[in-house]
Amino acid sequence: MNKNSILKRWGRGIIKNKKASFGLYFVSSLIGLSIFGPLFTLDPTAFLGAPLSPPSLEHFFGTNGQGQDVLSQTIAGARQTLLVAFTTGFFVVIIGAFIGGAAGYYGGKVDDFLSLIINVFLVMPGLPLMVILASWLPPGPLTLAGVLILTGWAWNARVIRSQMMSLKGRDFVLAAIISGESNSRIIFVEIMPRILSLLASSFIGASVYAIGAQVGLEFLGLGDVSTVSWGTNLYWASNDLALLTGSWWTFVPTGLSIALISFSLTLINFGIDEVTNPRLISEKNWKKELPDNTLNNGVTPVVRKNV
Amino acid sequence: MSNSLQYLIRRLGFYSIAAWAALTLNFFIPRLMPGDPAAIIFARFRGKLTPEAMIALRETFGLTDGPLLLQYFSYIKSMFKGDLGVSIAYFPEPVANIISTGLLWTIFLAGTSLVISFIIGTLLGAIISWKRGGRLDSFLPPSLAFIGAFPYFWLAMLSLYIFGFKLEWFPLRHAYSDDVTVGLNIPFIFSSIYHAILPATTMILVSLGGWMLSMRNTMLTTLGSDYITLARAKGLSSWVVMLKYAARNAILPNFTGFGMALGFVLSGALLTEIIFSYPGQGYLLLQAVRSQDFPLMQGLFMTITLAVLAANWFVDIAILFLDPRTRK
Amino acid sequence: MSKNLISIKNLDVKYITNKKPVHAVKDVSFDIKKGEIFGLVGESGCGKSTVVQSIIRTLNPPAIITNGYIKYNNKDILSLSVSEVRKLRWSQISIVMQSALNALNPVLTIKEQIIDVFITHKGMSKFEAVEKSKELLELVDIDRDRLESYAHELSGGMRQRVVLAIALALTPPLIIMDEPTTALDVIIEREILLKILELRKSLDFTILFITHDLNLLLEFADKIGVMKKGELVEVDITKKIKLGGEKEYTKKLISSLPSASGKRGIEFFPEPNLPSKTGIPMLEMKNINKEYLIGGFFKKKTLHAVKDFSLRIFKGEIIGLVGESGSGKSTIAQLITRLETQTSGSILLNGTDLKRNRSKNVSLGYRKKVQMIFQDPFGSLNNIHNVYHHLSRPILRHNIVPKIKLEKYIYKLLESVELSPGKLFAKKFPHEMSGGERQRVAIARALSVKPDLVIADEPTSMLDVSIRMDILRILAKLRNEHNVAILFITHDLASARYLADRIIVLQNGKKIEQGIAEDLIQSPKELYTKQLIAAASPGWLENAILEQ
Repeated sequence: MNKNSILKRWGRGIIKNKKASFGLYFVSSLIGLSIFGPLFTLDPTAFLGAPLSPPSLEHFFGTNGQGQDVLSQTIAGARQTLLVAFTTGFFVVIIGAFIGGAAGYYGGKVDDFLSLIINVFLVMPGLPLMVILASWLPPGPLTLAGVLILTGWAWNARVIRSQMMSLKGRDFVLAAIISGESNSRIIFVEIMPRILSLLASSFIGASVYAIGAQVGLEFLGLGDVSTVSWGTNLYWASNDLALLTGSWWTFVPTGLSIALISFSLTLINFGIDEVTNPRLISEKNWKKELPDNTLNNGVTPVVRKNV
Repeated sequence: MSNSLQYLIRRLGFYSIAAWAALTLNFFIPRLMPGDPAAIIFARFRGKLTPEAMIALRETFGLTDGPLLLQYFSYIKSMFKGDLGVSIAYFPEPVANIISTGLLWTIFLAGTSLVISFIIGTLLGAIISWKRGGRLDSFLPPSLAFIGAFPYFWLAMLSLYIFGFKLEWFPLRHAYSDDVTVGLNIPFIFSSIYHAILPATTMILVSLGGWMLSMRNTMLTTLGSDYITLARAKGLSSWVVMLKYAARNAILPNFTGFGMALGFVLSGALLTEIIFSYPGQGYLLLQAVRSQDFPLMQGLFMTITLAVLAANWFVDIAILFLDPRTRK
Repeated sequence: MSKNLISIKNLDVKYITNKKPVHAVKDVSFDIKKGEIFGLVGESGCGKSTVVQSIIRTLNPPAIITNGYIKYNNKDILSLSVSEVRKLRWSQISIVMQSALNALNPVLTIKEQIIDVFITHKGMSKFEAVEKSKELLELVDIDRDRLESYAHELSGGMRQRVVLAIALALTPPLIIMDEPTTALDVIIEREILLKILELRKSLDFTILFITHDLNLLLEFADKIGVMKKGELVEVDITKKIKLGGEKEYTKKLISSLPSASGKRGIEFFPEPNLPSKTGIPMLEMKNINKEYLIGGFFKKKTLHAVKDFSLRIFKGEIIGLVGESGSGKSTIAQLITRLETQTSGSILLNGTDLKRNRSKNVSLGYRKKVQMIFQDPFGSLNNIHNVYHHLSRPILRHNIVPKIKLEKYIYKLLESVELSPGKLFAKKFPHEMSGGERQRVAIARALSVKPDLVIADEPTSMLDVSIRMDILRILAKLRNEHNVAILFITHDLASARYLADRIIVLQNGKKIEQGIAEDLIQSPKELYTKQLIAAASPGWLENAILEQ
């Protein structure tokens, strides 16, 4: 493909975009840390010092109620949490693309039926349903991912459905139908690449959702509390009465890590939005051309260079 | 107005289907799980439950020896009577009674903070899109996105630690203090509001960014439309154009979004209740999880679902008033 | 000599982008005298709308006016403060925008959108403003009860009248009209224009009229400015422009205007060849009806889009299907291409009935025989794929040539639609080509599978006037070279006259009249056909005024 293809342009735009590259940098370093970090830290499950001792040179982030090293736990916890989050994100996008895509592309009765299912799952409150499912199933990462996918796919399916509906009536799709292309080729070769940025940002959005919801479920005690993850860290912190004993260090590092990765992911999404919406960038440049703090007040500005 | 009525009835039809789907899920989840649900419950509660409790539990789930369809109908029948079974943790208290004690508190806390957050967020979104490129526009979205990146309950923990535990500005737990009598009296009302401030603030802070960004996005689309150009060309003041012409239209998709996102945002609110030991649905949910009180869990799921559906129907009514196109 | 009401000097407007700024208006200067109708004509994207929106300074970001003066009654609008601009707007200069549907806010009543003008500029009470608004509606022949309506409850013509009424609210000295009749059909367009001219007589305002349609301006403008790529090519009185003006571009515009009246200009096309109409038609439609169910869940309405329509196309024939928007002509295209299924009636290809199967299960054989060219050359090509992809897919799908010969075949195909060298164009993406080039790629795609019939749905209406004739010429040439039949769908009787052998006139889904192209133009039988021909013939507006 030559360098003028839209996809390549977007790729270049993402790399050049400040927000997106900042986000990408943080996310990839956190992923790297979660993979290789545990090789260099202490055993996160071992009893290493007096319980609930504050940060010191020996334990940078202190110890928790079980006398475990909080720093090691924070790093080790990233692994399972991120794995579950990205798995969920991936499947949410795939299911959303299939169900939402089919509903939008085929329309008619297929759409009536699939939309009904999508909307029912949308209005059902997520947390209580997750709680019921997770209580019946054996605890563990697999249950978490399954429950998160089941309660999270509908939002994405709805977004993809509406995109598909607006694209399927476009002339380029009709032209492909008339030239004899098969439905699957039309969906995957002609339409899906057009919504690649949407799929990417859906994946990111779903991963962010999965981090939050997963941590929430584990915090309630619905995860496997014997493993180390960000959610179980917080579960133990609350179980060991971190608040009442004033041991803030047991929950602050994990919370900050969660926020940092979610925020970085969100930044990537902001970046994708800016790259695929050139209008936002144009307006920024427009502001730079104007003298003082002129705002868009509905009157076209005049900047006469030779006056 | 007959068209409006049809619209409302159609929506009501959808909500009944959704409610039925929730009921059915509730019925089938235990039966679809690996193993026999009765056996699982027996195994988990061996020695913990009296034989009477065990019988009550079986009845709640309709786990009789009859055929599945019969079980299903008897289950639906009892649900329609408002009979959600008997709680295990609070045996022999019926689930419906337990839930009703917490329902008002959740509606008070989560309901008001959701509405406040939606109103403030939408307003902020309108303002920053109007003055886009300005100082607020470059400051608010990233900072609120950062706050929104924290889990609800974690931020609740932090604020409880700082403002409740360290600074002692706010109470640590519960919805009102022990020394007031429950009822419509001034001390009680003040006490409830005082207890609600901290949890409500954290909920509002976390969810604010989402509403703001979605309003900003729809405003940007609206601002590019011809009727805005015409409104400006008419020489109307900036405020009139923004409120009467732009925000009026941009808010419609956000209203629909509000209804749709309600179930999701509510989850965060429930977790926040837990941190503040607030006696609402979230707190009951935690109790149910801790004691594996399946009837209570399922009852909570049903009640919360119905509450969300009802809220959605109110949103539909609001949209009916705001958008003449739905009345056609 | 009367005074200049508005005088534009050396106007420059730039749009800031993420790359180099786009210089949308370059050094444009012209004057409009009081009482004049000044027409500004140009193809889409030439900057004419940017010029007029600069006058009231409603251009949205990222536009910046970078040079020049716009003097209104000798006062420079470009030097006014924000609040001074607001005062000037509507009381001195108002605007009628192109699409009334988009210009009216869908969730506000007509009343709410008129009274705020009176309240803001005249300080009227709400009651007074409502009374004034009622009078205003009657001025444009709309019932005063309509004040409580929403835009979606009005017809297209009524909406345009409402927008006109809003522009007249403060009876400003200057009214800008930006393509006010483009979205309307011929008969409504005529009514609206007559109304405007009538109101101008009684209310005495100056008009700046923007359009892409030079023919229209020649009917009533006093002075015409011709714009091209941001520059004002020529300004002159209408009489001189009509004769071809002085500049090459103006001459080209005038000469490329086909007319539905008078003698057929042979310089455009050779005489049509009428193939023998014996034997089995290539494609036949028999008593086709198409109904759509529209509306809500409970109350369904039926829209009868095509009524009892029959058609026979023979090999190598070009049929012009002429009708306005809503006439059902596009539905017929969708029925033939099986994107839609008819409610009743049958379609026969080479004598065999196509079962009423679902559009997505049409046999490959049928797809190979019937191809289509769409109206919008940008929309019909997928912007993530290059030209090579667009052409190779159908060729491979239908096994037209073996894979090793594919490349050469594609290059030849591109050169046959006058895109040479083919090798260069094959690598291009849609956004790297002009509208005319894109439409040629679309034609090449339709021809790539060697079809028997090509449906051309308004293939020129989105293109610039100056290249429309080229596209029609290519279609005529391809018919001669490949003996392919073409169903040419258009709203423009004049271009059908030049390309088609036979013409069918459609109105509200019904066939009104048909006949050999030149016969139909010279001696139409039905009133509707006569109106269409009149609307596409010079001098029609004057005749219409005389009729009144």
